[in-house]
Amino acid sequence: MSSMALYQSIASGIVSGCVYALVALSVVLIFKASDVVNFAGGEFVMLGAFAGLGALTFLEVPYFLAYAIAAVALFFLGAIFNKVVLEGVLKRAKHGQRTLVAMVIATLGLSYVIKGGVRLFSFTEEVRRLPSAFSGPPIFIGPVVMQWQDIAIVSISLALMLALYIFFQKTLTGKVLRATSQNPRAAALVGIPVQLMQLYSWGLACAIAGVSGVLIGAKLPVSPDFGGPIMLLAFAAAIIGGFTSLPGVVIGGILLGIIQNLVGITISSTAIAVTPFVVIMLVLVFRPQGLLGGRHRIKKV
Amino acid sequence: MTIKRLSQLKIFSVFLATALCAGATYAADPGVTDTEIVIGLHAPLSGPLAAFGQDPLQAAKMWYEDINKKGGIHGRKIRVIAEDDKCNANEVGALARKFVTVDKVFMINGGSCTASVVGAQEFVNREKVPFVMLNASGDPAVFPATRYVFGAFPGSQGAIGAGIMGFAIEGLKGKRIAYIAHNDEYGASNYGAAKALADKAGAQIVAYERIALSITDVTAPMLNVRASNPDVIISAAYPAPAVLIAQKAAEYGMKQPLVQAIQGIPAPEVFAKNVGNNDALKNFYYSAPVNDLPDGPKQIKWLEMYKKAYPDRLVPSVFMVYGISSAMVVTTALEKVGKNLTRERFVDAMETVKLDSGIMAAPFEFGKGRRDALRAQSIFKFDGVKSTLMPGFYTWDGSTISPK
Repeated sequence: MSSMALYQSIASGIVSGCVYALVALSVVLIFKASDVVNFAGGEFVMLGAFAGLGALTFLEVPYFLAYAIAAVALFFLGAIFNKVVLEGVLKRAKHGQRTLVAMVIATLGLSYVIKGGVRLFSFTEEVRRLPSAFSGPPIFIGPVVMQWQDIAIVSISLALMLALYIFFQKTLTGKVLRATSQNPRAAALVGIPVQLMQLYSWGLACAIAGVSGVLIGAKLPVSPDFGGPIMLLAFAAAIIGGFTSLPGVVIGGILLGIIQNLVGITISSTAIAVTPFVVIMLVLVFRPQGLLGGRHRIKKV
Repeated sequence: MTIKRLSQLKIFSVFLATALCAGATYAADPGVTDTEIVIGLHAPLSGPLAAFGQDPLQAAKMWYEDINKKGGIHGRKIRVIAEDDKCNANEVGALARKFVTVDKVFMINGGSCTASVVGAQEFVNREKVPFVMLNASGDPAVFPATRYVFGAFPGSQGAIGAGIMGFAIEGLKGKRIAYIAHNDEYGASNYGAAKALADKAGAQIVAYERIALSITDVTAPMLNVRASNPDVIISAAYPAPAVLIAQKAAEYGMKQPLVQAIQGIPAPEVFAKNVGNNDALKNFYYSAPVNDLPDGPKQIKWLEMYKKAYPDRLVPSVFMVYGISSAMVVTTALEKVGKNLTRERFVDAMETVKLDSGIMAAPFEFGKGRRDALRAQSIFKFDGVKSTLMPGFYTWDGSTISPK
C-alpha cells in the first residue's frame, strides 16, 4: 500500500463519513426527542434528494431554493407524521401500555409508504444524480484529490453539527427540547408542551434529512431504494459515536468511512460491505454506549 | 343378432370412433384448440423493478397481436393472459401454477428478472410445460440446461462478460485488464466467462474488484485498480456504482478506456447526466445486446411499431425490444411445429431454432443442451452525448462459466 493510497483513502473516508453522519444526525435527533428509532430516516433523505432534484429540474429554481424547498417540505412531512400517526398511537394506548415498539413499527411502515409513493413517478425509474452546486476542477492537496462537492459536504455537515450543538446547548428552545427528551413527565410538570416539542423535533430532524438529501444527492446517485443502505451506515455511525451524542455521531461516521476505505485497500473490496457490521459488533461488545455516548444505561423497550 | 341391432352397433361404433378421434385432438395438450393457443405472459408491472418488465411485456403482446392480425399460426390465434410477477420468485412460482392449473395455458412466456424466473423452473419441468423467458438473462435458469426452460434473449451474464472482455482484448488491444463486478452470483457468472476468455487470449487480469451492490464509496476499489496499472478497465457494475466508477476514474486522472456492461447503463443520456462531466467519458464504451441504437436504421421500425401500439409510451425503455425478440422466437417455434401442436413437439422445435431477429446483436440459437439464446454483445462508444456502434459483435463460445 502506497502512502498516496493511504492519504487518499483517509480523505475520501472523511467525506463518506460525513455523508453517514448527516443521515445519522437526523436519526439521533429523533431518538433524543422521543426515544423512537426512526427506520424511515434513509427514506427522508431520499425524499429530500428527489424534492431537490424536482425543484431544480422542473421548477428550475436556484440551488439555495432547492435546499429550502426540501427542508420545508420534509419539516412538514415529519411534523404531520408525528402529529397524525405517533400521537395517534399514544392516544389509543391504554394506560400503562408500552407504545415504543408500535411507534418504531410505524416508522418502518412509513419507510415503505415513502418508497412506494416515490415509485409512482416514472421519473424515479432511472438512477438520478443532482447537478453539483459546487463544481470545478478537482483540488489537489499534496497527492490527495478532492472534489469541491466533497469539501462542501464536509463543511456543511460540520457546520450543521456545530449549529445543532449550539442550538441544544445555548438556546432556550434547545434546552426545552433536551428537557423533553430526558424526562417528558417532569418537562410537562414545569409547563413545557411536550407533544409540541416532539413535533418540532420530528420536523427539525426531517428538515435536516431533506437538506442532507440535496447535498448527498449531488454526490451519490439516487433511486427509491437509496435510503436503505445509507440508513444502515448511518445506524453504524450512530452506534459507534453514541446514539445520544451529536458530536459522537459525526466522529462515528468519519471513523466508519475511513475504516471502510482502509479495509478496502488492505484486505479486499468485498470486505467493505461487512465492515460496518463488524465495527458495530465490536462497539456493542466493548463500549455499548458508543465513543461519546456517556455512561452506559439500560432501558427496557 | 337382428339386422336392426347390427345397424345400431355400426352407428354406435361410428360415434365411438368419432368421439375418440375428437378426444385425441382436444386432449393433446391444454391451451390448444383448432382456433387458439393460450400463452401465459408475465413480467414485473408494479414494484421497484417494474421498469424492467412493463415495456417488454407490452412489446411481446404487440408482437402476438400483430401475428393474429396476419392470420395467426396455422389458423390458430394467440390469446395472451398477462399477469404482474413483481420480479418476485414466489410470485412467479404461484403464477406458473395458476397459468397451468387454472388458466390451462399451453405455455408460459415471462420473467424479466433472473432471481425470479428460477421460482418457476422446478414446477414447469415437473409439469412439462414450456417456459420461455421474456427478458431475464436468467443464468441460473439456463445453466445447466433443463428441457422446458429457454431464455437469455439479452444474453446471459456469461455472454455479457465474454462480450466486454472480447472487446477489451480484440477491439482495444488490452493485455492488462482490471475488472470490477458485484460480489453476487451475476458478478461471478460475468467474471467467470470473462476470465476464461482472457486466459484463452493470453491477457492478464491485473485487478479483480468485487463490490457490494449498495456501495457508496468506490475509493478503495478504484485505488486498487489504479495501482494495478491496467490497459483497460471493465465494469460490470449496476447503474449507481457504475456512475461512481466513471467519476472516480476521471477524478484519479485514469486515461485508460473504461468499458461498462449494459446493466450499468440502461439509459446512456441519464448516465452521462449522473456522471456530470463529459470529460470523464472521453474514452468510454458500453455493451448492449442489440444490433443498433434505438433510433438507428435497424431498430427504428420496432420503435415506431411500439409507439403506434402504445401512444402513452413514446419513450420506452431499452428493454422493450427484448420482449419482441422473445415473442418472435415463440412464434417461430410454433410455426415450425405445424398443425399438430403439442408441448413436446414445441420444445423439440425450440431446440432447432436459429433465428436472426433483426433486433439483437447476433442470431439466437438453441440446441439439445443449450437453453441460452444469445451469445454476443455489440459495443457502443459513448462520449456523453452521442453513442456510436463499433463494428462487429463480440461472441462467447459458451465454454466455462458460471459458478453453477
